[in-house]
Amino acid sequence: MKYIITVTALAFLNTFAVAQSAEEIIQKVDENMISSTQISTSEMVIYGRRNTRTVTSKNYAEGTENSFTEYLSPAREKGTKMLKLDDQLWIYNPSSDRTIQISGHMLKQSVMGSDLSYEDMMEERELVEMYEPSIIGEEEIDGRQTWKLELNAIVDDPTYERQTIWVDQERFVPLKQEMFAKSGRLLKRVTLRDVQLFGDRWYPTKMNYKDVLKDGKGTDFIISDIEFDVDIPAYIFTKASLRK
Amino acid sequence: MKIAFQIACKNLMGAGLRTWLNVGVLSFVFVIIILFNGLIEGWSEQSIDQSIEWEYANGHLLNEDYDPLDPFSIEDGHGNINDVSTAGLTPVLIRQATIYPQGRMKTILLKGIRSDQNTIKLPTQALDSSSAEIPAIIGVRTAEVANLTEGDQVLLRWRDKNGTFDAADITIAEIFNTSVASVDNGQIWISIEKLWQMTDLKNEATYLIADDSYSHQNVDGWRFENQDALLSEFRELIQIEKYSSSILYLVLLIIALIAIFDTQVLSIFRRQKEIGTYVALGMTRVEVLRLFTVEGALYSVFGVIAGLIYGIPLFIWVNEVGISFPDYYQDMGINMPSTIYPEFAVWLIALTAVILILSATLVSLIPARKIVQMNPVNALKGKIQ
Amino acid sequence: MIRFLLKGILRDKSRSLLPIIVVSLGVALTVFYSGFLEGVMGDIIRQNARFETGHVKVITKAYGKNKDQLPIDLALLDVNSLVQSLENQFSDMDWVKRIRFGGLIDVPDENGETKGQRPATGLALELFSEQSKEAERLDIQNALVSGSIPDESGEALVSYEFADKMDVQIGDEITYFGSTMYGSMALTNFTVSGTIRFGIAAMDQGALIVDISDAQKMLDMQDGSTEILGFLSSGVYDNEVATNVMENFNAKYADSSDEFASVMVRLRDQNNLAGMLDYVDLASGLFIGIFVLAMSVVLWNTGLIAGLRRYKEFGIRLALGEAKGEIYRSMIYEAVLIGVIGSVFGTAIGLGLTYYMQTVGLDIGQFLDNAGVMMPITMRAKITPSLFYIGFIPGLLAMVFGNMLAGFGIYKRETATLFKELEV
Repeated sequence: MKYIITVTALAFLNTFAVAQSAEEIIQKVDENMISSTQISTSEMVIYGRRNTRTVTSKNYAEGTENSFTEYLSPAREKGTKMLKLDDQLWIYNPSSDRTIQISGHMLKQSVMGSDLSYEDMMEERELVEMYEPSIIGEEEIDGRQTWKLELNAIVDDPTYERQTIWVDQERFVPLKQEMFAKSGRLLKRVTLRDVQLFGDRWYPTKMNYKDVLKDGKGTDFIISDIEFDVDIPAYIFTKASLRK
Repeated sequence: MKIAFQIACKNLMGAGLRTWLNVGVLSFVFVIIILFNGLIEGWSEQSIDQSIEWEYANGHLLNEDYDPLDPFSIEDGHGNINDVSTAGLTPVLIRQATIYPQGRMKTILLKGIRSDQNTIKLPTQALDSSSAEIPAIIGVRTAEVANLTEGDQVLLRWRDKNGTFDAADITIAEIFNTSVASVDNGQIWISIEKLWQMTDLKNEATYLIADDSYSHQNVDGWRFENQDALLSEFRELIQIEKYSSSILYLVLLIIALIAIFDTQVLSIFRRQKEIGTYVALGMTRVEVLRLFTVEGALYSVFGVIAGLIYGIPLFIWVNEVGISFPDYYQDMGINMPSTIYPEFAVWLIALTAVILILSATLVSLIPARKIVQMNPVNALKGKIQ
Repeated sequence: MIRFLLKGILRDKSRSLLPIIVVSLGVALTVFYSGFLEGVMGDIIRQNARFETGHVKVITKAYGKNKDQLPIDLALLDVNSLVQSLENQFSDMDWVKRIRFGGLIDVPDENGETKGQRPATGLALELFSEQSKEAERLDIQNALVSGSIPDESGEALVSYEFADKMDVQIGDEITYFGSTMYGSMALTNFTVSGTIRFGIAAMDQGALIVDISDAQKMLDMQDGSTEILGFLSSGVYDNEVATNVMENFNAKYADSSDEFASVMVRLRDQNNLAGMLDYVDLASGLFIGIFVLAMSVVLWNTGLIAGLRRYKEFGIRLALGEAKGEIYRSMIYEAVLIGVIGSVFGTAIGLGLTYYMQTVGLDIGQFLDNAGVMMPITMRAKITPSLFYIGFIPGLLAMVFGNMLAGFGIYKRETATLFKELEV
């Protein structure tokens, strides 16, 4: 009897968790991944046809609206800054001392030769705002139990109409994400690894971003240092900071 | 004058080989000039026809924000065709898209056009008859660059009006061959209904192609470029071609005229006795002069006749088989059919004949003027003067 | 004998003047027209060679497969040593490095912010190097609409149309924005030193021309270039020589599976030029053939005149006992002499005319309603080695042939009737 109760309770709990979570999971993922402010230092590893390059940068972000990136190395990129305010993007380059606005056609270009376009960096809405989630299964990835969720766009203008996302059941960190075209064809795949605890927040520190239509190994992002909810002086998110 | 003509005729016939040589050279020049002009005329006509058939039709009504030379203007340079009375207009919507042949990325222009259109010659019916999900037609040049053949599928990625990515395989329903590279290079044509559906840009068009029934009224937000405006650049090119070939005509003409001049000098020198006799018999020197001039001019008349005898069959023949040119010009964006069928207008032949005869007459006159200064007694004696 | 004939020619103007004038004129026209045809017809080939294909071109295998996308990431590296070895192996050729690249030109406003942007096609050349003939080869001096050729780092030429549309003046600063060979951002300022118009649509839309050292820095392409062009020393494409050079070079890398191994291609195999080359050969051959033929007929006529003119003289010579064959031969010798003299004069005049048309050219732009054309608007002739002998063919042959025909009359004459004919 006790056994039966336990089983039913578990089953009930389980269905309860499932029924409630689809939305909640995504909510939690958003909460986990996006903070009011964050400062990070990261490396971007770009696998080219002839060589592999590593670009390091320091990034400041305020929610999803504003971000500021300063490249630290290699020497060629040092001092290059990128500022995003809402839907506008500027790049500053110290050697030419010019601020150039990236717009229209240029937004589709790749950032520093990576598999990421400027536009991909511009997406500023939370998953929960854009998609209607539903749980479609559970899978184990690298020994972690995950929920597999399907996200269907509820806004008119998502970059990707549908996504599949695998979320760590315990840490609410996505471990894999696949982006699909309206027709259902897979366009991009993001894999996230090396989830670490920062304060009370689990955060993936390695990420591979891959355009699956193209040959190649994609682009790796490695976070070496990250701080959440720290004060960032307001002047950082102004055009004046580009020339500083 | 009649006598002069008769004597001249007899003299020429009597001179035999030399006359025929001159006539030969003249007829040759005559035929070459016409052939060349016909070739340029044919190129011009056929290229213009091809451009009209494949691309321009009766003109283009372009969205105000669209500049065909500026690829940046494609994104926003389109408008709703409900604002335009579409009588006689075929809408075309252009979008930028990417294809992935063999894992390589290639940016192309995706163009939507009605599959039942008859305004331009693109084989759009193939878009209808194909059972594929997204049938497409491409030109031979695009097919070669992207390594595609009929029936192949290739992955296409595009964005809808909100920027949302979409991707699907398109199927090459037909590969068309046109000398008008500007509807081929880097372009993929699909049905406009399909493109509207794919991009959510219902009833939007970048430009509209006008057919013969179209009459233009000003529409806000659109500008009309008629056939002439669209063809003006090509017409300039033809103009240049005409100037450059006129150098050839000039040089050929000079050679032929030298031949006549030469012959005239020779006959006046040889026939002093004859000249003396004419004068002794009571012809005025001007009459003799006329006789010799008519003789010279007659070479060109015979030349023209001879030219026509073998030229006309030749013209008919090249007009039928045409002359082939390498694809180079088309690849450079110069509108040139790979086979040009020269066209020969009657006025062209007539004009060339008139110019030839006039200039030959003039040239025969120059050495003949010597006759006027001749002393008839000495001439009769055959003394060289 | 020759001296005797020469004296005759010089003293008897009627014997020499007219034939020489006619031969000279005909030869001059032949030479000039051949030069003109070579100039105009060969222009397309030369233009291609100069701007894009070279006589031969070295690229990487991977670049060759994607060349329509200007893939600078697939460029050649270690080009200095490659050029060195090319120079050693094929020392009589001129080898130059070039970089083609795409990107944006951004024009700043007074605050240094974007005022306007346009796509640009970039071409980097060896402009600063003393020995380089690149500026000459592309005839940049003549293509300049305003300003001057860059002579120091940081200067660039932009197309006239671009400058006009974007309201850019000489001395203004513009920024190139694109990516480096490795995909990094490339942002470099240039001072506009001049504006150019080549009359080639592709170059005139939005060209940016800079020195190769600047481009290498800008595109992170140290000791790299997208291509190395080789030019034959004669300046004229010779398929046989080019094929030889190509085969020799490619044999070295034949079994390399490296996609970045260098490979050489001939002009003939690029831009569909094979058909064009055959066509130019055929057309100029045909025209020169037609021309020589027509000219020969004219000169034959002249020969006949010469023969007939001296009917009486030959009669007297025969009467005095000279052999017919001897008279005939002396006549032919004379024709050879006149032919040579006329051809020399004619060739000189023809070369002079050709040279004039080569340096000055015929500007057909003035005949056109407006200047928005896509072809070279100045037609130029071209002096080639063949022009020095081409005129002698019709000049000499036709003259001799004409005299030979005319001279047959000598054999027809009967000694018995000579005195009657001569009215002695």
